[in-house]
Amino acid sequence: MNTNTIQFATLVRREILRFVRRPYNTFLPPIITNTLYFAVFGVILGNRIGEIAGVSYLQFVLPGLVVLGAISDSFENASFTIFHGRWNDYIQAVLTSPMSNRSMVTAYVSASALRGIVTSLLIVGVGLVFTSVPVANPLYLVAFLLIITTLFGGLGVIGGLWASDFDYLTVMNQFILRPLVFFGAVFYSLDVLPPLWRNVSLLNPMVYMVNGVRYGMIGVTEIDPNTSLVVLTGVTVVVLAIDLLLFKRGYGLAE
Amino acid sequence: MTELAIRTRELRKNYGDVQALDGLDLTVDRGEFFGLLGPNGAGKTTFINTLVGLVKKNSGTAEVFGYDVEDDYREARDRIGLAPQEFNVDRFFPIIEVLEHKAGYHGIGSEEASRRAEEALKTVGIWEKRDTRFDWLSGGMKRRFVLARALVSNPDLLILDEPTAGVDVQLRHDLWDIINRMNDEGTTILLTTHYIEEAERLCDRVAIMDSGRKVEVAAPDELMARGTDTIDIGLADPPRTAPRLDVEGVSEVAVTDDGLSVTAAGGSQTAPGLMRELERQGHTVISLDIRRASLEEVFVNLTRDDREFAEVSA
Repeated sequence: MNTNTIQFATLVRREILRFVRRPYNTFLPPIITNTLYFAVFGVILGNRIGEIAGVSYLQFVLPGLVVLGAISDSFENASFTIFHGRWNDYIQAVLTSPMSNRSMVTAYVSASALRGIVTSLLIVGVGLVFTSVPVANPLYLVAFLLIITTLFGGLGVIGGLWASDFDYLTVMNQFILRPLVFFGAVFYSLDVLPPLWRNVSLLNPMVYMVNGVRYGMIGVTEIDPNTSLVVLTGVTVVVLAIDLLLFKRGYGLAE
Repeated sequence: MTELAIRTRELRKNYGDVQALDGLDLTVDRGEFFGLLGPNGAGKTTFINTLVGLVKKNSGTAEVFGYDVEDDYREARDRIGLAPQEFNVDRFFPIIEVLEHKAGYHGIGSEEASRRAEEALKTVGIWEKRDTRFDWLSGGMKRRFVLARALVSNPDLLILDEPTAGVDVQLRHDLWDIINRMNDEGTTILLTTHYIEEAERLCDRVAIMDSGRKVEVAAPDELMARGTDTIDIGLADPPRTAPRLDVEGVSEVAVTDDGLSVTAAGGSQTAPGLMRELERQGHTVISLDIRRASLEEVFVNLTRDDREFAEVSA
């Protein structure tokens, strides 16, 4: 392995070990939360709702819950590790090393994306307890999950650099991300909305992510998945470029 | 590789109205043991953090072994090991893993990283604590650990920011031994300290900084030679008033219970002439004790002079 690869692999490994060794903080909460979602929305309410888009309500909400878990955890992982490292100054061990800014950003984002994907798989695992889980378009499913978790890993880096207190992390996750996902057609179809609210919903980027993953799983979407993929990829590239620029300028990292 | 380990020119950094570095020009030779002295707020830590990339300079240049700390930051940082004043250690992992990670960030493969981590922990004497997390170490062990972390990448330039602050005498001497050994093996050392004795004992040269500027750079002995010594002279029959002593170097004469206290530049050179002059005046010298100016006194005088100059200039 060359120097760059060793540096990158070391930071990725460190990041992965951090979340793998603390499963009660990282993996258990989404398992419990999603078990509750499936039990309440899927089993208790879902039986009264019936089918949506030709599948059971449980199968309809599963992609949305996967997206919710994936983006929450990839965002939370990146924002927490950057902010906590700044708060306790130990990120300086990385910053004062000869790692390139690009390696640092790529390592933080990759590890966060991986955590989002692991969370997605856990949620699918919970879903399997309650229902069968179709995978209609596996390539689209993988592509959407990769791009979504990378995008939110990248956004988490920005959040971690911007935050000046733990409250900021809560604000970003609970007051911005979560409402956007909940109004992103996780629990309902856009078709049930009045035309005005349907159009307003289309301004919510989460709608495209939820529909993309839904297309990958149950083969049903209300928005063209290719357009969604192109737009999301473009946004991700922009976000990663901003990450790199912030690292280069030392935003939140150097005085 | 260049013969200069550090070279800065017109280095400036300000925080709002506060000028932390005010046109600092400094060079440190390769292999040198260099001390940085200065009162709190003199700009020592800002200077160090500029070298490692934790502070972005406003203007001027800073190079480490010829590499610009911003344009060639990877080459510059690869040569630096830093033991900072404030603890900044990853609390999630046992200390041996923290060292392995640090070595990995420097591009050292995992087997070699583990070997170096072991060597560094053994060097500072806390190998038996390798599976402990940083928070559970005692204060002295924490100081040892940050030194181990600075050593693990086998740096050409070891920067130690107040490495012995708040540690007991035994540990201080242990740390001095380790640092001296590194320097003997060719590592350039940049040390900031509040303990003047430490600088006197360890450093080839010291720079005295104040208000972001370099006030003076010289060997500790050279600086001390610039200070005034005190010569206590015991006389058989002490006079009631201070005699006039026309001896070169004497700046002040005071009467004491046993004789005289004479302030003079270069006490050992002045003493023979002083004795001759006193005997010529009819005094009998029965004892003589020269107290050399300490680096601390020189330091206080230099930084006080600098402040007075700054106030007058303002």
